[in-house]
Amino acid sequence: MSETLLETRGVWQRFGGLVANSDVSISVGRGEIVGLIGPNGAGKSTLFNLIAGVLPPTQGSIIFDGHDVTKEPATARCARGIGRTFQVVKSFESMTVIDNVIVGALIRTTVMREARRKAHEVLEFCGLGARADVLANQLIPSEKRRLEVARALATEPKLLLLDEVLTGLTHTEAEKGVELVRRVRDTGVTVLMVEHVMEIVMPLVDRAIVLDLGKVLTEGKPADVVRDPKVITAYLGDRHAVSA
Amino acid sequence: MTTATIIQSLASGLLMGLLYGLVAVGLALIFGLMDVTNFAHGEFLMLAMYITFFLFAFFAIDPLLAMPLVGAAMFLFGALVYLFVVRFAMRARANIGMVQIFTTFGLAILMRGLAQYFFTPDYRSINVSWLGGKTVSIGGVFLPVPQLVGAGVSLLAFGALYFFIKKTDFGRALEATREDAGAVALVGIDKNKVFALGWGLGGALVGIAGAVMAMFFYIYPDVGASFALIAYVTVALGGFGSVFGAFAGGIIVGLVEASTALILPPSLKSIGIYAVYLLVVFIRPRGLFGSM
Amino acid sequence: MNDAHTKRRRRDLIVAAVLALLAACAPLVVKDVYIQNIMVLTLMYAALSQAWNILGGYCGQISLGHALYFGLGAYTTALLFTKFGVLPWFGMLGGGVLSALIALGLGYPTFRLRGHYFVIATIVIAEIALLLFLNWDWAGAALGIDIPVRGDSWAKFQFTRSKLPYFYFALAFCCVAFLITWWLEDSKWGYWWRAVKDNPDAAESLGVVVFNSKMGAAAVSAFLTAIGGAFYAQFVSYIDPDSVMTFQFSLLMALPAVLGGIGTLWGPVLGAAILIPLTELTRSYIGGSGRGVDLILYGTVIVVIALARPEGLIGLFSRKPAPKGVPQ
Repeated sequence: MSETLLETRGVWQRFGGLVANSDVSISVGRGEIVGLIGPNGAGKSTLFNLIAGVLPPTQGSIIFDGHDVTKEPATARCARGIGRTFQVVKSFESMTVIDNVIVGALIRTTVMREARRKAHEVLEFCGLGARADVLANQLIPSEKRRLEVARALATEPKLLLLDEVLTGLTHTEAEKGVELVRRVRDTGVTVLMVEHVMEIVMPLVDRAIVLDLGKVLTEGKPADVVRDPKVITAYLGDRHAVSA
Repeated sequence: MTTATIIQSLASGLLMGLLYGLVAVGLALIFGLMDVTNFAHGEFLMLAMYITFFLFAFFAIDPLLAMPLVGAAMFLFGALVYLFVVRFAMRARANIGMVQIFTTFGLAILMRGLAQYFFTPDYRSINVSWLGGKTVSIGGVFLPVPQLVGAGVSLLAFGALYFFIKKTDFGRALEATREDAGAVALVGIDKNKVFALGWGLGGALVGIAGAVMAMFFYIYPDVGASFALIAYVTVALGGFGSVFGAFAGGIIVGLVEASTALILPPSLKSIGIYAVYLLVVFIRPRGLFGSM
Repeated sequence: MNDAHTKRRRRDLIVAAVLALLAACAPLVVKDVYIQNIMVLTLMYAALSQAWNILGGYCGQISLGHALYFGLGAYTTALLFTKFGVLPWFGMLGGGVLSALIALGLGYPTFRLRGHYFVIATIVIAEIALLLFLNWDWAGAALGIDIPVRGDSWAKFQFTRSKLPYFYFALAFCCVAFLITWWLEDSKWGYWWRAVKDNPDAAESLGVVVFNSKMGAAAVSAFLTAIGGAFYAQFVSYIDPDSVMTFQFSLLMALPAVLGGIGTLWGPVLGAAILIPLTELTRSYIGGSGRGVDLILYGTVIVVIALARPEGLIGLFSRKPAPKGVPQ
């Protein structure tokens, strides 16, 4: 692994009596595409939110780009270079597509002309150029997912957190999504993606981290991970759903 | 200030508080059911008070007997308001929240105007009802009979409402709809019917409150406005949508108002209620019993 | 694409300039003092509603307590002038700054509230202020303050012979409020506010400091509203709590924006141009009978517009179709 960009050290998250993450230590290297997978309720989304800064961990620390960001709110982490999408898309519905993306661009510049230029560039990159002046609420679901990615990219992240961006898409749409993620990485952005369905992500990621019951079950090359008996057992409940 | 005065004030405050709860509960019910705040709630109360007044003036029906009639009339009115106005506001495709606020708000102004036109801006009162002007003494505390009966009616109404929601089919449909309107549609319950009945029920409850209040408050076209803000504070204090919250909120508002009147000049008595509301939501942004 | 955006913004400015010019010439034709009076009020409410729209429309924080800032502007000006002889211009500025500071102070606890809890908090805070002013003897309590006539002059901002100076100030005020909104709309703040309104969580993930955004909107909105209050005090030359701080004013500031088109540049102007003359004309021509016909008409108009044009009357002017609902 190359130089580390993100690291979680012994992270715990408890909600009342419920332990969502226990002693999770993972790291993501610069330029990697890492998949965070695991069955439902494994604690993927919680870990994701801890990294994005939605809530502070009960215990443990999060190091990003050499800084301890554990206590920093989401806005500050965005400024440091963590961009994210939401599992349930959260577009700014009453704004146009381009305006959605401008909001993201404004963290790097306050010159409107520059923000607008940047937003157009990102939209073209994400294949939404033709939809720039449409209201966000008129997009179809797969376009909304792309808009989420575009908005996050406009903040010029070093690390892009993708929360199930490929789930629920048709086969063609998902393939286009995979291609987009590759191109994002090619621009030098590190990607950490949560996915529930393994088939889609495995060919895409350099490394997979498997969570189960709030703990890191195993990690490694995708090909090794899918053959790991522990992973198969953990997924067994969903196994038929996965191969369907 | 003697202990007797304090007890006297708090007792009246409690009675008034039960009434505030009854005024507010219809609002809470409708909000809980469909996330709509009826900004014409005060005008519903005003209409109920006028109906009570005219039943008395033209047919010599005492407010106490008029209560079920007013409740029934207001049930019909509430349901009609839903079917002919609110139903359309909910179809709005933009600014749904604002459309609901300003539709019911426009309705409030319209109702006030109609009341001025048809009932004149004069102040009316029912001065010779069976209970009017009578007081009883309970352990040295003097309580006006109409307020005492009103508080009793409020308790009965809350009891009936509780029974209704928990034990009847329609009550259960109401509960189910407020939890998940989409799923309810799947099991074949007509959402519009449930909403119309919810508005009817909300209307009936404020109707009963109006019949009680007509016994001891002046009746005029703007009367609703003065109680509406108290009703909103009551509902928000308890937590929007919570029927029990409206009950508790009403009692708190009544007691706080009475205590404030002991300390501050009468013209400032509402300040206590407002201050308590702010204090509560600053500490608990969803009200005392709000869970959403 | 860039060009379309720039063109649209330039067109907004040109239309506004033409309208302002036409309005400035209106007194040449309209000599009737009563109509001039309505024009002054219309311009004032257009500006006030523009100010309300910054917080309520763009930033999505529905305040129904803006009468507080309106009243503070009126009272600061009137009190400074009558008690200390301070010229109204300084009172106007002082009232604006005071209101902005109070808005920031109140924003600290209230911006944590959402939805109806926030709306009711704004109503309740304004009501508390109303009750305090009704009982504040030094400030005239319920009797209010009569602003003494010291002769017509721009320095004292008093004009007894002609309403025209007030008209031109109101026009300038309206233009300034429009320009400020026009400028903010295409600035970082404008985008942040709309993002906060649509989805605060997503906004935060993009680096928008939600709380500061709301505070900024509140301060600008309160400042401009207080300027309007100060103007109104000079215009009517007599104020009491019931005439500047009641709920009715909060509504009259919100309604034009809502009916015209909430969160849009032209909504408040359009809404005020229709609503205020309607209010005034119905009140004086049919409302005088005290029979509520004005309210009936007014209420009906609000209900009909809200139901028929939920996006506001501005929707009638846009060539694009109305935004469709979110597919379920």
